[in-house]
Amino acid sequence: MIPLEYILLLSAMLFTVGLVGVLTRKHAIIVLISVEIMLNAANLNFIAFWRYNPSPDLHMGTMFSLFAIAVAGAEVTVGLALVIAIYRHYQTLDTEALNRLKE
Amino acid sequence: MTIIFIILSITALTGAISAIFLKNLIYAVYSLLLLFVAIAGIFLMLMAEFLAVVQILVYLGAIGILVLFGVMMTRNISGASSERILSRGWFFGLVISVLMLFGVLIPGLAFSELSSSPAVETITPSVKEIGIQLMHLNTPALWLTAVLLTAALIGAVVVAVPRNYSSKLFLTYKLENKNKSSK
Repeated sequence: MIPLEYILLLSAMLFTVGLVGVLTRKHAIIVLISVEIMLNAANLNFIAFWRYNPSPDLHMGTMFSLFAIAVAGAEVTVGLALVIAIYRHYQTLDTEALNRLKE
Repeated sequence: MTIIFIILSITALTGAISAIFLKNLIYAVYSLLLLFVAIAGIFLMLMAEFLAVVQILVYLGAIGILVLFGVMMTRNISGASSERILSRGWFFGLVISVLMLFGVLIPGLAFSELSSSPAVETITPSVKEIGIQLMHLNTPALWLTAVLLTAALIGAVVVAVPRNYSSKLFLTYKLENKNKSSK
């Protein structure tokens, strides 16, 4: 069986990649995609700890991941609706161009 | 076992990194789908077969296609070739992320005492058990999820429908109601 550290290391790397995407890219859809990558890394952590804990029959990690997936689905739906509304209003998805609140 | 895990992790990391740094949005979404498939494979390796199926159904089937449609609804997929894709403060973002990885996450992993082998060697796969857990201990969370999904659905429609179009819909609805009441 794989050591638990390997899975946690993979999950940490995926989370960092997602964080890099959120902090460095400026296209709104790419930012949404990066948030999805971070959520997947978190789900991987839940499942890894569930598999290695002494009582996996309670399925606690599975439950957490299921609800996290449902929330991720809702988040993507609303996020894409906002993206489409923003695109219709400003004709751009550049997050640097959306600075009406600053002016 | 370890070799399969390493192959799957390399696939996942490749998918994630190319999803972040590809210029063309369609290709970025495709490499995101690659990441989802690799994560589903790791779920299978960890004996969470129900989660793997849910991952493929929801992430590949729903979220991937939804993001593809979102890309399709907006123009300018790849952008002008001279246009930069990184935001203005990208260097600080990169530094913060790398500090997060090497300053918080990896030291946290290195200094924790984790069991390297699972406490229970084999798990009998059981969807029935998951159903019982959902209907027994986690029922309030299930209800709240249903409410959340309904709210997200309605909110997405309200936000995405154009304003003049929705007001037109509302006006015709009011007119119809007025006609009905006058009759």
